[in-house]
Formats: sequence, structure tokens, C-alpha cells
Amino acid sequence: MPGEPITRRNFLWVGWSALATFFAASAAASARFLFPNVLYEPSQKFNAGRAKDYPVGVSTRWTKLQRVWIVRNEKGIYALWARCTHLGCTPNWFNDQGRFRCPCHGSNFSPEGDVIAGPAPKALWRCKVELASTGDLIIDKAVLEDRPGFREGHVYFVDV
Amino acid sequence: MRKLFYISNFGILGVFLLAIGLDHKREWKKHQRGYYEMEAARLEEELKSAGDEAERKSIQSQIRSFRRRPLEIKQIITPDLGRVDRCVTCHVGMDEFTNPSLSNPFAEHPFKAHPKSIAKSHSFQQYGCVACHAGQGLATTAEAAHGQVEHWEEPLLKAPYLEAACAKCHGNFESLSETKTAALGKKLFEKHGCIGCHAVNGRGGVISVDLGDIADKPLARIDFSKSGLDRKDWNIKNWIETHLTKDPMELVPNDPEGHLGEPISPSGMPPFAGEINAAQAQAITTYLLTMSKQPLPHTYYVPGAPAKERSSGDPAKRGQMVFEKYGCAGCHGLGGAAGRRNFNALADKQTRMEDGRVPSLVRVVGTYSPEELKKKIQEGVPSSAISKFKPEGPTPPLYMPGWSEKIKGPELDDLASYLFSVADQDSGGW
Amino acid sequence: MLDLDEISKKVYETQVWRSIFRHSPWKDAPRDRMRHIVDNIWLHLHPARIRPRAVKVSYSWGLGGISFMLYLILTVTGVLLMFYYRPTVELAYQDMKDLEFVVTLGKFLRNAHRWSAHAMVLIVILHMVRVFLTGAYKKPREFNWGIGVLLLTITLFLSFTGYLLPWDQLAIWAVTVGTNMAGATPFMGNEGPFSGLLGMRVNNDVRFVLLGGTTVGASTLIRFYVLHCVLVPLVAGALMIVHFWRVRKDSFSAAPLEADEEKLDVWPHLIVREYLAAALTILAIFLWSVLQNAPLEELANATVTPNPSKAPWYFVGLQELLVYFDPWIAGVIIPNVIIVGLVAMPFIDVNPKGVGYYSLRERPLANTMFLSGIFLWFLLIFIGYFCRGPNWGWYWPWESWLAHKPLPPPTWDLPAWAGASLMIFYMAFGMAAPRLIGGEISWSRAIGAFVALFLLAVGGLKIFTALAAAKLLMLGFFIFIFFLLGFLFPQRYLKGLDLARYALTMSLILMMLGVLLKIGLRLGFDIKYVLSLPQFNFNI
Repeated sequence: MPGEPITRRNFLWVGWSALATFFAASAAASARFLFPNVLYEPSQKFNAGRAKDYPVGVSTRWTKLQRVWIVRNEKGIYALWARCTHLGCTPNWFNDQGRFRCPCHGSNFSPEGDVIAGPAPKALWRCKVELASTGDLIIDKAVLEDRPGFREGHVYFVDV
Repeated sequence: MRKLFYISNFGILGVFLLAIGLDHKREWKKHQRGYYEMEAARLEEELKSAGDEAERKSIQSQIRSFRRRPLEIKQIITPDLGRVDRCVTCHVGMDEFTNPSLSNPFAEHPFKAHPKSIAKSHSFQQYGCVACHAGQGLATTAEAAHGQVEHWEEPLLKAPYLEAACAKCHGNFESLSETKTAALGKKLFEKHGCIGCHAVNGRGGVISVDLGDIADKPLARIDFSKSGLDRKDWNIKNWIETHLTKDPMELVPNDPEGHLGEPISPSGMPPFAGEINAAQAQAITTYLLTMSKQPLPHTYYVPGAPAKERSSGDPAKRGQMVFEKYGCAGCHGLGGAAGRRNFNALADKQTRMEDGRVPSLVRVVGTYSPEELKKKIQEGVPSSAISKFKPEGPTPPLYMPGWSEKIKGPELDDLASYLFSVADQDSGGW
Repeated sequence: MLDLDEISKKVYETQVWRSIFRHSPWKDAPRDRMRHIVDNIWLHLHPARIRPRAVKVSYSWGLGGISFMLYLILTVTGVLLMFYYRPTVELAYQDMKDLEFVVTLGKFLRNAHRWSAHAMVLIVILHMVRVFLTGAYKKPREFNWGIGVLLLTITLFLSFTGYLLPWDQLAIWAVTVGTNMAGATPFMGNEGPFSGLLGMRVNNDVRFVLLGGTTVGASTLIRFYVLHCVLVPLVAGALMIVHFWRVRKDSFSAAPLEADEEKLDVWPHLIVREYLAAALTILAIFLWSVLQNAPLEELANATVTPNPSKAPWYFVGLQELLVYFDPWIAGVIIPNVIIVGLVAMPFIDVNPKGVGYYSLRERPLANTMFLSGIFLWFLLIFIGYFCRGPNWGWYWPWESWLAHKPLPPPTWDLPAWAGASLMIFYMAFGMAAPRLIGGEISWSRAIGAFVALFLLAVGGLKIFTALAAAKLLMLGFFIFIFFLLGFLFPQRYLKGLDLARYALTMSLILMMLGVLLKIGLRLGFDIKYVLSLPQFNFNI
């Protein structure tokens, strides 16, 4: 309103809103501050050795170091991330029961990664697997898929 | 109210004094004081026979110093290994500052001195104690320090298992006099064909787990319930050893009858208890305990001499070496004579699934022509192609991997010659 | 002979003494008793005189004071422990071992800290139960009740953040599970419902801020350390100041004033009781700390989870709840509804009776519902703590964990349409039914209605599934609970309430019973989700 003079009262409001804006901005900045920009976490990719060396079944060779199970079925190899989709514990493979079972809330998964029992809402994640020219499996835990139909695709599956 | 006032006030003071008392009365103090007393008493004996005045004076002052010495926690900090070991707090005889000569006449624990020869080449200040002996270096009570408590997965290693620690760094352990057990273990590991099923760091068979880091296996992943071990003995050493002294089928029975779903055969590991004695089992265990991925400073490694390329003019002899190199004995038995157990595989004179056997090479090889035999070795027999005793029973755990990428060329020819040389000529298969 | 009276008199008269304590030598007169409180910076949060009801031990049980005493013990022991504790992944666990083995009184201090924390959680919960049962949250104490609920939440959060610091297996996995619940927050967590709308990924959601990374690691440890030792205690302290101030301003006891009530001197009547409560608390904690050591498991291992992996007792109920629900319900919605529901309680419960004394008769609905909720919570804790074994399988307390149990049966979801209609029906019917019947229902009619309802349910379920005796029993139990708490009680006691309050009360009741019914559906009929929309991560 161009004609209206700036009264002292009006100006006071401007002053207070400046302070309020500052508080809001500093709150937002503090929140942003808490998001780290770099992480010191190990690489998500690893070499799992010769693909040919995996017999049919679930291999627990990499669970301790990389938290990944390598599974071979009649057609080929895929890699399951050993992180329960419920709340992130590491399930154990029970060969006699043919299941992965989680120690935290009792979720059960099949070797395909599908939930059989317990509270887990989704199937286990499958990691990206590649076959290097040397015949080694390269596994990338940063690229994940769990939807049936997609997870069997060539990115998450190697037929050797 | 007044009564409560007295109870609470005296109670607080009393319990706090009790806490201080308990805190003050530490187990290690008894041992340290005991050691100083023993040293003083020994010196007093020495004093009796000392002639020289100067010598007497010196001994007397030593006695006084032992009697008056304040009790303290002694520790070795090893920067390379990042460890703090407080073992010498009780094992004072092994503290190179209290007992510089590292020798004393005390035979009983924990006062004994450390064997000198090893101490000389392995400076305590560099290696500490736990790097070799395992246990819990930070602890100051016997039970906890020896690691015989819950939530400590590396209990003290005693002889001969202790040799595993030597062999972790000493690539040349087979030629050392101190590591005879570990060396024997390695020899037996190779002789009995363990490598046929178990790879070590990616080299070897694929039928069972890679043993390259078996010593680090987390106990949370082991089901000890069928092992017959006391809870306090649940550790990786005993887990390995019971696999050799008992029938692994009892340790890991799995579900061959299919109560839980698909029938799963028990552990495929054949029983070795009849073939190796207790001392040999100990030796193999010792050797396997060296297999750890826990990092050590690279300067600590002592390279071993390169394995001698054994050779012979006789193709059958060379073939026998190939047979051993790839662990064929693991399934086919020593010299291919007697196939080992393969649960639910079809065999002759079979009444139970447990009677399933891997073919005895001595008996079947004669039925093949050399070309057929080589083809068989190269292609292997997948588990789906093995005839079952009980068709609805579990898939047999052992199978013949295809060796085409590993055994080829002259090695394959030699192996075939060897097998034909041991084959039973007049048998028509098993 | 030593004359103590003579000496103390001399001491009181010294200039030094008089410079510190303003008042003249102590004579046991009303004026002196008053000045003892008013002239003392620490004591003057008390009034000088107080209503006799507030002093009665069997009224308050001293639970608020004991909580505060525990907080003080935790502060003192915590500060002392901080002198030795280094919050890094490499050293934290080693420092725990040092406290146990080489620091003078280190083990005692750590035990005292741990056990006080456990005791504080329990005592704060009991304090809340006491305040609820005596109706002390009602006008004019609504605000302070709200502060109290926040303080309970903060107590739990302090325990949770402290749990990570020893850096053992217990720590890393409890915190992994706890922070993954944050990851299931709707909209803001990458695994929660509708997270796609805000573009949440594993490295930009609310869990990521909490952890300072994508997994529990070094940055999580330092974050939790700062939260545990600085930030949360500061907030708790500030809220406690407000809490105490309002307790005093609202005149301690909530009971209405009686005409001939004569107030008591706080010195000595209240002070003595406070002193005794504090002293006995210290004694109990000391004894506990001498007798039992705080647990410490193996060094944290980010790939191996202990089997079973159990949260501390106060979270094990939540852990058990997580077995039956999607994480966003059990970990986010239910706790938040509980907190918000508790804060809102004084505004919903307008029953003017039962303020300042225990009475089930005058507040049948509020007390029954509240105690049922508390009972349910502790029942879950009991199940989680005593009835769960390896792979979170069901093991009775007397059973060995070595026994091999049959595998859990496969679970199934209701089709979305059925689940949605069932839930709408449940809420609508539950909401409407108590209002539909006006008059008082006699016991015989109530029993008749229950039997009819039970037979109807049995008949309906018979079509789909075989009903064994155990299932019948379970069905009967759950229908009975629902009929009693979800229908009869509201029908009888929620009559005069306005619509908004009625709707709010009923939805809280229906949600609580819904939790119980869902547990029944899972245990009895292996139903995983009543309503599942996987494309939105939305499962109930």
C-alpha cells in the first residue's frame, strides 16, 4: 500500500518477523547440518570369487564379511542381501530347514528370499550380480531389487 | 521412621564400604603378592649361602624391595597389534621387568617363568601375550582372562593347539621344531583329502564350506546342541575337533526324514573317527585353527619355503600325487580303496540310507576304458545324477564335481595311470 | 568429654557459618521450620507448608521423588563414567572392560548406572500409573501430566541412546532394530508407507540423520553419545524444572480441599519422607550393584546377530509387538498414539470424580481401560522376555532353548477388499454399537449376547477353517475381551459424553483392542496382514 506511512507499530512487526525468520532458518540449517555429506562406509561392491565354484544351494561363504548369501538354483546364481527386510537383523541360514530365519522377530524366508512366516513385510533384497571376464562374480549391494518378475532379470541373475 | 533412618544410613555406608572392599580385594593382588613373597623367600635361602659381604647386601636389598613392592596392574601395550595385555599382572614371572632373566624355580601357576627361547625372538613389548595364547588380555580375573566366560569367543589356547598361533605368521612352520603338531595336521589334512570338499581361501573343493577363515567362525552361527559338549566348552576349537572325533552326522543330523519339509541329508562329512586317532584329530584341529582372517601386520609374516615340486619318473607315482593334491581321498578313501559314506546314495549291501557310499575307485575303475575314465573325471557326476537308495529320501550330500578346469593335460593322464594301477583287475564294478 | 551440643553451637556462631546460612541458630519453632525451606536454594521449590494428604506415603508412594533421585544417581555416576569412556568404535568396548577390570570402583559405578536406568524406567512408569489412578491429571494439572508423559518418553529415549555406548552385540543390534523403526516412519523413512512421495532413500531419510550414515557405525556412536550425555539430559532437566514447579503451584495433592484441613510444616514432615525415600533408593541401587553385574556381550559385530537378540526389558514388549505388525504400525504409529493419547487424556476424561484418591468404583471406565493397556504392555514384555528363544520361537520359560521346535506355519494376508471392509466394519460397528442401545443391559442379556456373538463367529469361521479346541478357546477369549471392554463398558459408562470426546475415547479403546485382536489373528489363524497394499509399503 504505497500511500500508507510506516508506523512504528508496523515496523516493529517487521523487526519481529526478521527474528522469527532467523529462528526458522537456523532451525532448518541445524537440521541440514545433521545430514552428513560424506560417509566413511565400506564399498558396497565386492568380488565373490569364481561363479563355477558355487554348488547348488545356499552358500554362506560371504555372510560374515559381506553379509550376502550366494544362491545357486538349477538355472544360475543370484545374491541375497543378508539383511532382514523387517528391521535389519542378519538372519541365519538353516540348511536342515531350508530357510533363513531371523533372530530378532522370527521372520522366515525361503531360499528365493520370499517371506514364509513372521513379520517381514517384503522379500529379501537381491543384489546386482555381474560375471566378470575372469569368471568371477562381482556383487553390488547398492543396487537392489525384490519384486518378483524383476529380481529374476539379468541384472540380478547370472546363468552359469 | 527413626528406624528407617538408621537402616538406610547405616545400610548405605555399609554397602558402600562393602563395594570398596570388594573392589580392593582383587584376585590378581593375591597372585602378585604371592610371587613377591616367594621371590623374597627364595632370596633368603640364597642369602644363607652367600659369602661375600657385598653380595649379602645386594641380596638383602633385593629382598627388601620385593617385600615392599606396591601391587599394581602391569600391562603390555602392543602398538602394532593394538592390544593391551594384562596377563603379567598375575603371571609376574613372565614380566621381563620384574624378572629380567625370565627364569625362576617356581613350577606352579601362575608363577612360572616363560620359556626363554621363544621370548628371545618374540619381544613381549612387541607381541604381548594374547596374540599367541588367545584369551582376554584386558581382564584381570583368572576366569575372564583365560576367556572361559560367556561372551568371549577366544579362550586360552593350550598346547598343542597353541602351535596354531605360531603357524599364523610362520609360513615355514612345517620346518620348525616347535610346530610339529601343526605340521602333522597339515600333512594329515592333505593326506585324507579334506581339500577335496573344503576349499582353503578359494583353492580346493566346493562341496562344503571354505575353511580359510574357520577359526573366526562366530559361535552364534553354530548349533552345539548335538555336540555333547558342556556349555563352557562351546568354542570353535571343540567344534572342529568333534567333527573329527565323532561322526559329523550326529553333530549336524539335519532332517533326512523330511519332518520339516523337503528332506535334507545330514552333514555330508564322512566319519573320520575310525581312520585317525585322537592325537591326529588334535593335529588337524591345530592346523585349522591357523586359518583366520584377522589381520596381522605384514612385517610379522615369515615366508615359508616354496612347496617342493615332487616329481617322479613313474606316471602312476605322479598320478598318486595328483590324487592327493586334489583331495580325491576325501570322498573315495585313501588310495581310492573304500568309498566314504554318502548319505542315501545307492550302494551294494545297503539296508539304511546311512549305508550309502561313494564308489570305491579300486573296484569301479576297471570297468572303464582310459578315455571313459578321463571323461568321467572331467565332467563329474552332479548330485542329481546319483542314484538314491530311497527315492523319496534326501539328495546325497556328496557328488563328483567336474574337474575339467583343474585336472587336465599330463596331470589327467598321470591320474588315470595311477587309478588303473590300483584298480582291482577282476572285479566287475561294485 | 566431647560435648557435641557445645561444639555445634560454637560452629553455628562462627562468622563463616553465618555467612553461608542466613538464618539464626535453629530453634524448633514454626518460623524456623518455614525459614528452613524458604531460605534454602535447594529446598525452596517446596512450599513452607503442605496439605497432610500429600505427605501420606500410601497416596504417592514417593514415586516421583524416587524417579528424581534415580536421575540424580544417574547424573553423578554418568558424569564419573564419562571420565573414562571414549566414544569411538575402537575404544568404547575396551573402556567397558577397563571399567570392569582396572578402574577403582569402575564396575560398581557402571552397575549403579545401568541398574538405576532400569529402575528409573520402572519407577517412572509406576509413577504415571499412580497419578492416573488417583485422577491427578485432571484440571488444573493437565499441562503437568503432559510434561510428565514427555518425561517418560525422554526416560525411555535416554535408556535407548545409552544402550549403544558399550558397543557390544546387545548394543548394536538393539539400536539397529530401534533405528530401523525410524526408517519405517510414514513419509519420512525410506521403508515406511508413502516414502516414495517425498523421494526418501536410505541416505536422506530420518533414520539416516539418526545414524549419521546408512548403518550403525562410528558416527552413530558419537551421535548417541552426544544425545545421551548432553542434549537429552538438558531437555529432561528443563522439563523436570517445569514439572516440579507445577507440582508445587498445583498444591501437591489433587484431592479437593476439606474445610477443616490444617496444613503441615514441610520441614520436617515432607523432608523426612523425601530423605528416607532417597536414602532407601540409594541403598537399593547400591545393593543391586554389588550383587549383580551389568551385562556386557561380545564386541559389536555388524554382520552377525546374536540368536535370539533381545532388547532391554522395557523395549522387549515393543519388540514382541513388532512380531505382529508392520514396523510402521508397531514402531511408529502405536507408540505415538500411546503418547498422544496419554497427553490428551485429561482433555478427554471429563469425569469430575475420583480426584486425589484411588477409586475404581467412581472411575470404572478410565481405570479399567488404562490398567488393561498397562497390563497388555507388561504381558507383551513377559512374552518377549520369558517366552521367546532362538529365532524368536516360542519357548516356555521352563523349556530348554536347545530343544528344536517345529517351524512357524506360513502366514497369509486377507485380500485387500476383505481387509478394508473388515477394518471399516470394525471401526464403524465398534463406534456405533455402544450408542445404539440406550438402557442398562442386565447381566443375563449381556451373557446371552456374548454367547450369540461367539456362536456367530464360530459359524462364520467354520466355513473357512477347521477350528480346534485351542482355537475355539482363543476365539472365545478374544471375543469376550472385546465384548466386555469394547462394548459393555463403553455402553454403560460413556453415556453422557459429547460426540467428539466419545469418538476419541472409543477410537483409543478400539485401537487398543485392535492390537490385541490382531495378535489373536496372528497366533490363532496365521493372518499376517488384515490389509496389505504392498505398492505403498502400507500394511496393517
